[in-house]
Amino acid sequence: MMVSFIQALLDGLMVGGVYAVISIGLTLVFGIMGIVNFAQAEFLMIGMFVAYFLWSVLGLDPLVGSFVAFAVVGALGYVLQRTIIKRVLKAPAVAQVFLTVGLLIVLENGALLAFGSQLRSVSVSYQTLSWKLGPFFISVPYLAAFAMSVLSGLALWLFLNRSWFGWAMRSTAQDPMAAQLIGINTDRLRAIAFGVGVGLTAFGGAVVLPYLSVFPTIGGQFIVLMFTVAVLGGLGSVAGAVVGGLAVGVITSVSALFLPVQLQNLVLFLVFIAVLAFRPDGLIGSAR
Amino acid sequence: MIDRRTLLKTGAAALTATLASRTAFAQNGGDINVGVVLPLTGASAQFGINSRNGLELAVDRLNSSGGIKSMGGARIKLIVADATSAPTAAATAAQRLISQNEVVAVIGAYVSSLTLAVSEVLERRGIPLLTISYADQLTERGFKNVFRINPKASALGRAQVDACIDISADSGRKLERVAIVYEDTAYGTSQSAGLRAACKEKNLSIVMDEAYPQGITDVTPLINKLRAADAQVLFPVSYLNDTLQIVRSMRQQQVQVPVVGGAGGFILPEFGQSLGEFAEGVLSVNSSNYDLDPESAKLYRDRYNYPMVHDAIEHAALIEILAQTLEKTKSSAASDLRAAMTETRFEGGWINGMPGGAIDFDETGHNTLAVPIIIQWKGGEQATVWPKQFEKVSPTWTN
Repeated sequence: MMVSFIQALLDGLMVGGVYAVISIGLTLVFGIMGIVNFAQAEFLMIGMFVAYFLWSVLGLDPLVGSFVAFAVVGALGYVLQRTIIKRVLKAPAVAQVFLTVGLLIVLENGALLAFGSQLRSVSVSYQTLSWKLGPFFISVPYLAAFAMSVLSGLALWLFLNRSWFGWAMRSTAQDPMAAQLIGINTDRLRAIAFGVGVGLTAFGGAVVLPYLSVFPTIGGQFIVLMFTVAVLGGLGSVAGAVVGGLAVGVITSVSALFLPVQLQNLVLFLVFIAVLAFRPDGLIGSAR
Repeated sequence: MIDRRTLLKTGAAALTATLASRTAFAQNGGDINVGVVLPLTGASAQFGINSRNGLELAVDRLNSSGGIKSMGGARIKLIVADATSAPTAAATAAQRLISQNEVVAVIGAYVSSLTLAVSEVLERRGIPLLTISYADQLTERGFKNVFRINPKASALGRAQVDACIDISADSGRKLERVAIVYEDTAYGTSQSAGLRAACKEKNLSIVMDEAYPQGITDVTPLINKLRAADAQVLFPVSYLNDTLQIVRSMRQQQVQVPVVGGAGGFILPEFGQSLGEFAEGVLSVNSSNYDLDPESAKLYRDRYNYPMVHDAIEHAALIEILAQTLEKTKSSAASDLRAAMTETRFEGGWINGMPGGAIDFDETGHNTLAVPIIIQWKGGEQATVWPKQFEKVSPTWTN
């Protein structure tokens, strides 16, 4: 029993790390712009496709391709922010919702048009490998995805806390007017923040490619999960997304020990409701 | 890879589902409209596309060889609508086909839960539904307008168990402990019920019995349970996305249990392509296979550069049934079609690919001649290995 509990804990932490990275983008965009991006999961799908094609055309491992996915989707996000998202920043919340939901529909159907609806899956050497650590199995693709997630999380932390951009970004989030007064181009910073946010989600999509398949509607399988993670941790807080991601991973994994797998979401949402009831701002309070 | 034609078609289906029905009004006097509701987007899209290809191949060949002769060479015209993954959308699509396109029959919707929704609409309107979906209840609700050519899900489940007992006995093993995992929609639920019943009949103990949600993104908990269960065989009833995750995760965690899949994702060419050597030896139940009618299969492979999977074979057979029915009734009135379908024994043409060799519907619309078969992945192809009378290659039991 103890062995299977620790095994479930390890598995949960590994997938939870990935959940954290794909949700950080959502929370970052909200934290800095106050926009809830319903299209966020579509950038995961685009990131997966970028990594898939890099693999199928150039033979690039998805873990390497993930950096390209970050760059490509980040640039796309930058452009989207400057062209359309920017226009609704001061608009009523309803307009923001309509815009991002519209974006979701356009991106999903655009991908269907461009790539067709079939599943695509990479094959890499470590896909079916695992390491045996005493009685425990450490899945290599899960561990790789987890390691990449930790890496990107650290990079983001350094970016936000140790670079001028990060400092400027945080000041834009705290007080846009004051930030502008001291010479920060808040418009450009918001676009960069959006780019980094969707880029990170795309990065997360690319690192899970070794164990998941990609298809245009895969966003739908992640969107609820991403919101759960972000809101559980506290929407707008990057540390919250990390805690939320790990919590969701562990809860779903461990609950399967004593409940049918089918009910793993039940436990997750019971915890979710309880957290919101007692801590409406999430496990780690909101940055805003 | 995907060719440009499929790409355009899929995209068009996705984006202009609503417009499609309007353009269909431009019909010639001699056309017979047949509605098609299939999942062309979403998690089950691949099945829908294979099915549509089978339909189009059969219809094109019918029309180019003179159409329905007893009706002055009338041509069958398919009007395709996207069922997506939502039963409500599938039902709406069927409704629209009837009211806007005056279809004489509807074919669809592959995924059992979608077909159930579509069948409700058609039963109300009294229009025949031809389907290959497996769920038992399709033909068990007293509906008069459902015609299903495939075995019921429960019969497929039973075949999985029977075949396992036979094949493992051939290699000198006695089967005692089995594990069942299934996706929790209509198809997985009813097929696993068949598995469960068959296991009880044969006194096998079910050491694991787990449902999981169809859009699952992490199967590790499932595989952890499987390892702890110490089963001698795994029966998964899954579509493609979950199937790939399950088999990969099993290999990762070194769970060496023979896998006998419940059709779905286990009989798609993508299964073999994506898993490569890990696909080798995997068994699955099926309702038809391309090695049973190589001639038809070649026609399909030449046109689509893809194996004639069971979805395509069976949908081509549905066109055969429709064509033979129309030839006989000389009318496209729904009541005539329904009566003729119940009375006729269909054979020849595309039906040669069906293991039963012929199709005979009873009062409920169930094909009494349907036979489940078992295939095994060998060298990247699916070979029919069970039952003995259809065996193309002898089965192997790896454990």
